[in-house]
Amino acid sequence: MIDPARPVLDIRAVCKTYPGGVEAVRRVSLQVARGELLALAGESGCGKTTVLKMINRLEDASGGSIFYEGEDIAGRDPVALRREIGWVMQGDGLFPHLTVRENVAIIPRLLGWTAGEISNRVIEMLELVQLPVNAYGDRYPAELSGGQRQRVGFARALAGRPDLLLMDEPFSALDPITRDSLQQEFRSLQAELGFSAVMVTHDMAEALIMADRIAVMADGEIVQHGTPSDLLANPASDYVSGLLETPRRQMRAIRELGA
Amino acid sequence: MSANFAERLAELPQYLSAHVVLSMCALLAGIVLSIPLGIQAARRPRLAAATLNAASVIQTIPGLALLALMVPLLGGRIGFLPAFIALMLYSVLPILRNTIVGLQGIEPQIREAARGIGLTDRQRLWQIELPLALPVIVAGLRTATVWVVGAATLATPVGATSLGNYIFAGLQTRNWLSVLFGCVFAAGLAIVLDQAIRLLEIAARDRRRGLAIGVGVFLAVLVAASIAPRFMTPGQAGAVAAGESPGAAQGIAGQTVTIGSKAFTEQYILGALMQRRLEEAGARVVRRDNLGSTIAFDALRSGEIDVYIDYTGTIWATVMNRSEPAGRYRMFTEMSAWLWAEHGILTLGRLGFENAYGFAVSREFAEAQGVDSLEDLSAIAAELTVGGDPEVFARSEWTATRDVYGLGPARTRSMDNTFLYSAARDGQVDVITAYTTDGRIAAFDLTVLDDPRGVLPPYDAVILVSPQAARRPGLAAVLGPLVGAIDDDAMREANRRVDLDGDTPAGAAAWLGERIAEQ
Repeated sequence: MIDPARPVLDIRAVCKTYPGGVEAVRRVSLQVARGELLALAGESGCGKTTVLKMINRLEDASGGSIFYEGEDIAGRDPVALRREIGWVMQGDGLFPHLTVRENVAIIPRLLGWTAGEISNRVIEMLELVQLPVNAYGDRYPAELSGGQRQRVGFARALAGRPDLLLMDEPFSALDPITRDSLQQEFRSLQAELGFSAVMVTHDMAEALIMADRIAVMADGEIVQHGTPSDLLANPASDYVSGLLETPRRQMRAIRELGA
Repeated sequence: MSANFAERLAELPQYLSAHVVLSMCALLAGIVLSIPLGIQAARRPRLAAATLNAASVIQTIPGLALLALMVPLLGGRIGFLPAFIALMLYSVLPILRNTIVGLQGIEPQIREAARGIGLTDRQRLWQIELPLALPVIVAGLRTATVWVVGAATLATPVGATSLGNYIFAGLQTRNWLSVLFGCVFAAGLAIVLDQAIRLLEIAARDRRRGLAIGVGVFLAVLVAASIAPRFMTPGQAGAVAAGESPGAAQGIAGQTVTIGSKAFTEQYILGALMQRRLEEAGARVVRRDNLGSTIAFDALRSGEIDVYIDYTGTIWATVMNRSEPAGRYRMFTEMSAWLWAEHGILTLGRLGFENAYGFAVSREFAEAQGVDSLEDLSAIAAELTVGGDPEVFARSEWTATRDVYGLGPARTRSMDNTFLYSAARDGQVDVITAYTTDGRIAAFDLTVLDDPRGVLPPYDAVILVSPQAARRPGLAAVLGPLVGAIDDDAMREANRRVDLDGDTPAGAAAWLGERIAEQ
């Protein structure tokens, strides 16, 4: 059924024009291969979050089309589509009135799994994000640290076994040490489970460290698209160089200290 | 004191259960109306603004006025319905406002997360938004509960039974134990319901099914116990009707007669007197006490009550809107003809006494100022304070007196009829509007001032019968003997027994009944 060679996600010339004529996204085309992490980078207001939200139809495209697992999403029920695609957001987006266990169980429950399947999946997912269910399952989000909450956010998004995970600035609210360890953990989680991911970030260093490929956006368009080393070797414009300047300067400074 | 306590206690099941049913029905309807409206409005800012504005306007209307307004709006209906509607409207604002605020206060991030992971609109509402808004909605519900249980005590003047009956009747008959009963049980009920809702919220939050069921059962039992007596009364009435009674021949036996009365001692006594006679004739009597003055008339016109006592001058001024003076007989004749022609209301006749509005002063004041008629007051009008019952300053009796005798510069103070007489005795006010049959005029050594220019109309007490009841000859036959049977002295003495000796209206009515029988 699933062709491993076919991209999980195929975005073809999508546009988003808001009433009043503001063009947030202009003819963006992207593909995401199986198991790949694509970063959408750029300054705020460049349209990267809008692209992300069009993938699970939180926003509908004004033009172009998006294929998920070979199927045009325009013909799909948005709610069913969203249950198949994982969603992680800035902060954590956990439901404060539900326990950790209930937050993680919510998508399997919506998908109609049996109680036994749900319970096993919750235990498995919480193990994976290193929050054993015995210690953490009955806590409420307010009783967890920021890093722990974000881990529960990942566990919730991945509990329904999605092929694709969408992430909107997932690490930006965390302190640097927690951020770093969670970034590492995320890559090993992805290697283990094999899902594909699209991550929106304004932090170029994060994109360089984590992503397989990076699409840099400005003014609703993709201005450069390639692997991290492509971007570092051949920035296509002053804008891209400017975005790369901060991580470069930090790298140089650290190197000088070590020398 | 202990007899008084026992009598009050005997009234408790009726008043408390009526209060519970009235306030719980109003609250339930308020919830059913406000929460769905609030859910809709939370998503539509313009609807939210419009509904909140409307609810706020209703809230600014004083509770008593809102209740009173429902009577004419419902075409003269009194009793449960107008009280229920007014209290329901009263409960809307806090529940509606808190529903809107609670739902709008949910972080946008949480809403977006719920959409992003694939909850439908309905699932978002029930699983995420309502549970998160629940504490705020419940806070609104608790506010509404306390308001409605409190405001339900004001339902008495529109003819709905409630714990307010204790308060209104107690205030009029100087029975402070009765007032205390009303206050304590109304406050107690508010606290109990408030805490029940709080426990339900805790049960919902902590998912304690046992607690929820416990509170639910308690509330169900409370409502069931309050409703049960209503279904039992018709059976008892049937039992009474089955017995042979002397009135059977007159065709009133077994019929139900509803007697209305306004909210002062004399009215309670006359209501009890009519009740005695009707029950002796085998009729089943329902009392609607403490009606507002014009509400009583509206209720009679629409047939909500069958009979009550009013006064010629009052009908003349406030119902017929006539301001010109008229002599006693002309007024009675014109009034009777007008009531019959306009409304089909039958004037059975005059009871024989007059309860006029008069202006009274303490003897001390009269002697010090050399005052014995209204004309003497004009010279000192600027220094005068006139105390009156809550309605008199809006009535033509006062405006005519003021204009004719030059009392414009005097200060006016409204207070309940109960406090007027002692206020005059103690010099807190100089002049009061007094009912001339009130026993306290003599007891407090007050003097009623002469009205040399004949401004104040006569106030002959009359028995008025509703259009429907007018077609029941038995009623006129039973109450007819009261016409011309009660003179000023008899009425004053009966009033005095209640207001000063602490007798009950029923006791005074019994005395009055015996006196009539001796004549």
